[in-house]
Amino acid sequence: MNLRRLRLIIWKELLQLRRDRLLLPLIFLMPVMYVIMFGYVVGSDVRNLPTAVVDNDRTATSQRIVDAFSSSGYFVIAARPAGEASLQPLVDGGHARVAIIVEKGTEAALARGEMVPLGVIVDGADSKTASVASGYAAEIVAAFNQELLEKAGRASGGPSIDARVRVMFNPSLKSVNAMVPGLVASILMLSIMVIMSQAVVRERARGTLEQMMVTPITRAEYLTGKVLPYVVIASIQMTFVVLLGLFWFHVPFNGSVWTVAAGLILFTLTSIGMGLLISLVSRTQQQAQQTVMFILIPTMVLSGFIFPIESMPATVVPLTYLIPLRYALVVLRSAFLKGSTIADLWPQFVGMVVFAVGIFGLAVARFQKRLAE
Amino acid sequence: MSGAVTRVLAVARKEFIHISRDWRMIVAVLILPLMQLLLFACAISFDVRNVPSVTLDLDKTVASRDYIDAYAKSGFFQARGTVSNYAGIDRAFEAGQARVAIVVQRGFGAAIAAGHAGQVSVLIDGSEPNSAQLGQTYAVALNQTLGRRALAAWADAQGLGTVKVGRLEPRIRAWYNPERRSADFLIPGLMIVIIMIVTVQQTSVTLVKERENGTLEQLLESPLTHSELIVGKVLPWAALGVFDTIAITAVAMLVFGIPLRGDITVLAVGIALFIVCALSLGLVISATMPSLESANVTALLVSFLPGFMLSGMAFRLESVPVPLQVVSYLFPARYMVEIARGVFLRGASWGLLLPQIGALTLYALVALGIATTLNRGRTGERTVPLQLVLAARRRLTERVRAHVRAGGRGSAGDRP
Repeated sequence: MNLRRLRLIIWKELLQLRRDRLLLPLIFLMPVMYVIMFGYVVGSDVRNLPTAVVDNDRTATSQRIVDAFSSSGYFVIAARPAGEASLQPLVDGGHARVAIIVEKGTEAALARGEMVPLGVIVDGADSKTASVASGYAAEIVAAFNQELLEKAGRASGGPSIDARVRVMFNPSLKSVNAMVPGLVASILMLSIMVIMSQAVVRERARGTLEQMMVTPITRAEYLTGKVLPYVVIASIQMTFVVLLGLFWFHVPFNGSVWTVAAGLILFTLTSIGMGLLISLVSRTQQQAQQTVMFILIPTMVLSGFIFPIESMPATVVPLTYLIPLRYALVVLRSAFLKGSTIADLWPQFVGMVVFAVGIFGLAVARFQKRLAE
Repeated sequence: MSGAVTRVLAVARKEFIHISRDWRMIVAVLILPLMQLLLFACAISFDVRNVPSVTLDLDKTVASRDYIDAYAKSGFFQARGTVSNYAGIDRAFEAGQARVAIVVQRGFGAAIAAGHAGQVSVLIDGSEPNSAQLGQTYAVALNQTLGRRALAAWADAQGLGTVKVGRLEPRIRAWYNPERRSADFLIPGLMIVIIMIVTVQQTSVTLVKERENGTLEQLLESPLTHSELIVGKVLPWAALGVFDTIAITAVAMLVFGIPLRGDITVLAVGIALFIVCALSLGLVISATMPSLESANVTALLVSFLPGFMLSGMAFRLESVPVPLQVVSYLFPARYMVEIARGVFLRGASWGLLLPQIGALTLYALVALGIATTLNRGRTGERTVPLQLVLAARRRLTERVRAHVRAGGRGSAGDRP
């Protein structure tokens, strides 16, 4: 490998990137847009849900129940309609997403030691809100009951369970903290796959590949020179994401830089391999773009990046093991938030090594063969 | 006029031939959207179950075993074995084997039997906030039930009769989508996003491709007028978009059993307007982007990201910061997702969705206007904003060239 020739190819590639008036700005705009969108849209937590309260009991206890809801931070009392009949227009018009109905006689029935229903209506047309809101409601009611129970337990001298529920690693349960580490890996993959595959296909589509082959440049030099600029670009993009995450969204970093670096290097190899494979199967840039979309969409959905793998049906879960991003996500999230080391994450690392060796190896071998033809 | 129709149809036919020559394109346009729908509809949901959990039993009594069993039986937690000390919990969390750890403290059984408070801790891995949130909720609710059971058993054993403690029982109902199926909620929105991705992506490159191949000039020398060319180019994609919509709606209703409660004409008019909007967006990209790469990257940014994030398809837009909410109005998907969801789930009719239909109509007119103006500007000379960018670029490139020459790097910097 001749370093001078290598440098010249890299130089050519960078010049070509600059020639395209809008491509470089777009490349650097991309990670910023991704961080903003994911950080603010996906990372936004369901809070301050507009809530309508129908209090048919109007006692100190019913007031306490309503206060428990409004002081939780999840529900904001937006309306207090007089009867259940006026709930429909409120929910239809989107003025309330949740409604709480306290039945008449709640206080008296609780004092008698009966079980009293508490009506909670959630807007099911928005299933995330619905599932999260009903979860919060259940939690608030459970805490309320626990209080009653403890009082009764103390009065009768009976036992109770003192459960301390504690969230570790991300105590505030902020979604952004899980989102940003995942975004680092996604941006890396996206950038290398989209931009590199385009660059390689273009060379073939325009016939400049053949011109390249009659120069003294060797195949290994060509491949390295073609890949390196995009790795550098992807690294700059990742740095953008990490800096925005750490300093703008205040994502904690508890892990070791080495674990993150090892994971990213393996994943970079996998991504380069995928980019090269795409450029091998595509004849035109449009086809390359289609192939990227074909891979991108299942990757985003099945990797656990946006939607938790635990919520997927059992038949779909095995498919997720075929997605390289899945392993990278676990490694980065665990390293960022939990401080996991390579030893802790060995199954993921084994998976990543298999993909890196397999995909990168296959891609380079096929690409060399293609160039030789 | 009939001449214009003939010419438009000729361009459309040419475009169809381009599409049908490329089998990948047919797959991408006709089969991929359906695959995406199936994949999304099966895989996406926010209903977390089976959170993997480990237990640490420091008490080892009948009471502690009963307590631990209750978690596995609740259907929410999935037992992934036991560990023997706190270090084991750390390892399980760090390796991602478990998201919840249940620790029963020593003396739990004795405390319960004596009528004191039995100590337990539930540790939750917060690195996956969705699961962690629900895990927390379930743990709190479960402990409350178990505490009640312990109190009742104790009272029985003491011969106190039953200790009656009142409690609230949340009766949670979900309107519009009573079983709270994620599919019902997601599919109407998904449909729109998929159509948006297909149409924007495809139209954003059609004109750039002609320009790069040099065939655009040939086309413009023919008797075709500018608008005829554009209409003809876009017509096949509009047809494919409509076809995709029908196919996806059929799959949604027949395979996933999504109810169509509202007025189908609202949906049809909405979709037609929406496709015009999406195609115009694609044309705007086509007109402004200098190369296929830039067009591709921009199409990805304009269709994929806002389609997913800012359409309200999966994420509530009310909890998003205001500037992003404003941005979300700049993309047609937002209006259309509201229309689709309204028609499918809420059974909405014309009256309720009139604002959205109006917004889409306005959007379609404005976007189409911008797209034609930009494209007209594009054929003669480059558009004004682009010329400014170009001038700046040229100066920069010249400096780079000068630098290359000075550095004696030979012809490496020249166009390959």
